[in-house]
Amino acid sequence: MELATGRVVAGERHAFRHIDPILLAAAIGLAVIGLFAIYSATHQSLAAVHLDPGRFVKRQLTFLAVGAVVLMLAVSFDYRLLKVYAGMIYVSSLVLLVLVRTPFGTSVKGAQRWFELFGFQLAPSEIAKLALVAMLAAFLSELRGDLTLQDVFRTAGLAAIPAFLVFLQPDLGSSIVFAAILVGMLVVAGTRARYLLVLALTAVVLIVAGFQVGLVREYQIERLQAFLDPTSVSADALHNREQAEIAIGSGGLTGVGFGKGSQTNLDFVPEQHTDFVFTVIGEEFGFMGSVVLLGLYGILLWRAFRVALLSRDPFGTYLAAGIASMFALQMFVNVGMNVGIMPITGIPLPFVSYGGSSLLLNLASVGLLLNVHMRRFV
Amino acid sequence: MGLRVKVLALLVLAMFAALTTRLWFLQVLASEELKREAADNAVRLIEVPAPRGVIKDANGTLLVQNRGSVVITINRQELGDQTESVLLDLSELLDMPADELGARLDDPRYYAFSPIPVATDVPKRVAYFIKEHQEEFPGVDVLSVPVRRYPLGSAGAHVLGYLGQISKAKLKDPGFADYSPGDVIGVSGIEGIYERYLAGTRGLVKYRVNSIGENLGLIGRQRPVAGDDVWLTLDAGTQQLAEDSLKAGIQHARTVVESDSGYLKANAGAAVVLDPRTGAIEAMASFPTFDPALFTRGFSQEEFERRFGAGHSYPLLNRAIQGQYPPGSTYKPFVAASALQRDIVTTGQSYGCPPSWTAPFDQSDPAAMQYVFNNWTTANLGFMNLSTALARSCDTVFYPMGYRYWDMFYVNDEEVANGVTSHEPLQHDLGSFGFGAQTRIDLPFEQDGRVPTAEWKQSIHDQYPQSFPEGEWFPGDFILMTIGQGDTLVTPLQLAAAYGALENDGKECVPHVLDRVVAPDETVVRDYQQNCRKHVRIDDKYLTYVRDALTGTMTGSGTAAAAFAGFPFNDVWVAGKTGTAEVPPKQDYSWFAAMTAAGGQEHVVVVLVEQGGHGATTAAPIARHIIEGLYGLDFSQFTDVAGTD
Repeated sequence: MELATGRVVAGERHAFRHIDPILLAAAIGLAVIGLFAIYSATHQSLAAVHLDPGRFVKRQLTFLAVGAVVLMLAVSFDYRLLKVYAGMIYVSSLVLLVLVRTPFGTSVKGAQRWFELFGFQLAPSEIAKLALVAMLAAFLSELRGDLTLQDVFRTAGLAAIPAFLVFLQPDLGSSIVFAAILVGMLVVAGTRARYLLVLALTAVVLIVAGFQVGLVREYQIERLQAFLDPTSVSADALHNREQAEIAIGSGGLTGVGFGKGSQTNLDFVPEQHTDFVFTVIGEEFGFMGSVVLLGLYGILLWRAFRVALLSRDPFGTYLAAGIASMFALQMFVNVGMNVGIMPITGIPLPFVSYGGSSLLLNLASVGLLLNVHMRRFV
Repeated sequence: MGLRVKVLALLVLAMFAALTTRLWFLQVLASEELKREAADNAVRLIEVPAPRGVIKDANGTLLVQNRGSVVITINRQELGDQTESVLLDLSELLDMPADELGARLDDPRYYAFSPIPVATDVPKRVAYFIKEHQEEFPGVDVLSVPVRRYPLGSAGAHVLGYLGQISKAKLKDPGFADYSPGDVIGVSGIEGIYERYLAGTRGLVKYRVNSIGENLGLIGRQRPVAGDDVWLTLDAGTQQLAEDSLKAGIQHARTVVESDSGYLKANAGAAVVLDPRTGAIEAMASFPTFDPALFTRGFSQEEFERRFGAGHSYPLLNRAIQGQYPPGSTYKPFVAASALQRDIVTTGQSYGCPPSWTAPFDQSDPAAMQYVFNNWTTANLGFMNLSTALARSCDTVFYPMGYRYWDMFYVNDEEVANGVTSHEPLQHDLGSFGFGAQTRIDLPFEQDGRVPTAEWKQSIHDQYPQSFPEGEWFPGDFILMTIGQGDTLVTPLQLAAAYGALENDGKECVPHVLDRVVAPDETVVRDYQQNCRKHVRIDDKYLTYVRDALTGTMTGSGTAAAAFAGFPFNDVWVAGKTGTAEVPPKQDYSWFAAMTAAGGQEHVVVVLVEQGGHGATTAAPIARHIIEGLYGLDFSQFTDVAGTD
């Protein structure tokens, strides 16, 4: 008993030497770029209404500081403990998703998505993303042998519950992230291609049914239409797309320079410090800057997949793969909608977009990746 | 498991490939165009309307000026399926029936895409409410726009004209190439004819704007050039006097029962006051009139019809220049002058004035017929000279003159062939007084009037055989012309100009309402050059004779003696002529034309009242009222005057 404890303690001390600095650096790099972009996007509008031009950057810095603590917490314990508590965490996150729809939650711009906490907004959907990753990792790592269709549907069911709950908020973007986590982890679990096909068909049928009973909101349909057929939609939706593309395109190869983007400064792009933060980078730092940003994501994901490969147990592999899927999908859908190849959904750009909940959870995710990575020999 | 992770990584790699490709397209290939769009985005050109010039009377009294008005406009295309709810909400806010609002939206004067002003001078409270609840009012806009203000109300409305949206026809006119659909332009009157001076030049402002159009600062500007001010010859006081007199006289006429047709309808009328020495119009009234301020908003077709249609005798019509009427006996002085000049009559001779006159049967022409022409009274007025025949307006003295024009000139080919005279010297002489052609006054839509000729009669018959069943020229055409009937038509302004020539020794001045155009920097851009010429080829002695004869109208047994009973002729010289034009099946049209002079002033006053009965009954008292006002005399009351021609 004594010995065992000593081994663990010794292992723990040993483990911190195996932290992945490249993964950490990529995440920090992205967050720093985010700070610059947020400042560029917001300082003029804030100054115009006589507010501190650094208001949003300072708040984001606060989130980063809190995030650093959360990251350290996520590193500090043995990730395998997570497997034990995964069910509890998952159920708790579902309860939060339900509670946010009650008067406990706060409504912003017609969507009930947040809890108001000490002047900050906490989005339970962000917590639910990581909770789902843990839940699915725990569930899949317990399965033995090849996945049956029944297994696939049970796994999908676990993802469908939070996906449906956030969809009601309405938050189509987060639903898509849940789906991506599910698919990514099912791929890693070795699901047969035809099972995935059956799953996809089922999802299509359910979505069509959702249209029929009116669960899908009009503006969601409109956004999808805007993507599929740009001539069919309101000028407003079209305007967002156009302005984002103009901003990014006018950046050219090298960009117009930090703080000099006319599209950015004149508020032509909506939600520019959150969902459309990429347009700031595109306009002010050009193709080069965009590629640097994508490169950082590349490094982040490369390291995440490396963690999945190096993990000493399937739980760790699933955990890393789930997190990687989450990052990849959010990055792709967000940048994709900024450049006009994906429909407009409310998905933030990980580490870069302004927003506390998303940043905290992303940093927690990085912490978990580091956790799995450094305990690979334990 | 390692392989599967790599599969997932491969999927992610594909994502990166897609994004990078798209970024390459946007930021490298399409960059130039998008850069241009970004530049356009940030700059907005705003047209700044030029303040429209004001319109002043001869003394500088403001007749038309500008003011700001809060206007609610509705863009039909943006309303969509919410039309009903928006109109209901608006009707409650504006305290106006929704039906009326809806009908204004159907105003045919506006293009489908242009916002239609449905309410003007909206209270601030309503404007703010709409602004604050904009999402509930799609297509509804609240604007502060400059609109015309008329300090004297409807006074001079017909002369001043009104503004409206430029018509499609005007837009095609190369002269209006600088106008765009939806622009406001002078539609009628002075506003229309001096549009170029009044409009000014619009300015341009180049702003940097953000996405919601907020102004972030000026880049450049081209200031608007204010329109020039137009000063008119019109005198606000005289204009008001003419309009008030016309209205009061018409209202009185409606209480008068004449002959067998019951109360006089007196549905409309016109009055012109001009200075014969210059042609300056001092007043031009048309009844019924309208409020030009109404034209700052849209009308439903139904409302337009109700306000400006037949039910109200077409108040938009400027009857002084657009109304064409048989002049009746007011024509006689010009016929008399011609007849004197052509030796048809003389000043020394006496002529019988029987109740009727029969045109001689012409033996040589089997087609000729025998005609009986009646005087306006059944009494035999005995023998009289030409002067008295004018004063008493004896038709049966004039009929034979008409026959002589036929006899001496029209059928006497020998003299015409010798070039001694024209075929139709009467028409020629009448034309020299300005009849049958526009006076060329500086107001739009002036009518020609008509001096019928044989050629005209034939051609109109060929064109409209139904309405003009006879194409041949008969003695009767000359005979009726002598008393201003038949196919003869004049506008009140033509008659006023002709009397002006009579008062001015045959020198006729082109009537005008413009005095000068003054730029904002006070320089005179255009000064009206009077255009007076002696077209009339009638000896001065005959003109003087006729003019003097017309003083006889006013007193004694003259036709206007009753209407001018008690008038101080010793202080103010007045010579005039009554006229009673027959326009069957309507009641007679009442005319009075007067020349006056006193204290260095000279005026011609012409009054017409449609269905106003005899000239002495309605038009003469109105003219008297105007003359009294012009010379600051005590006003007489409108009283019933026995009907004389």
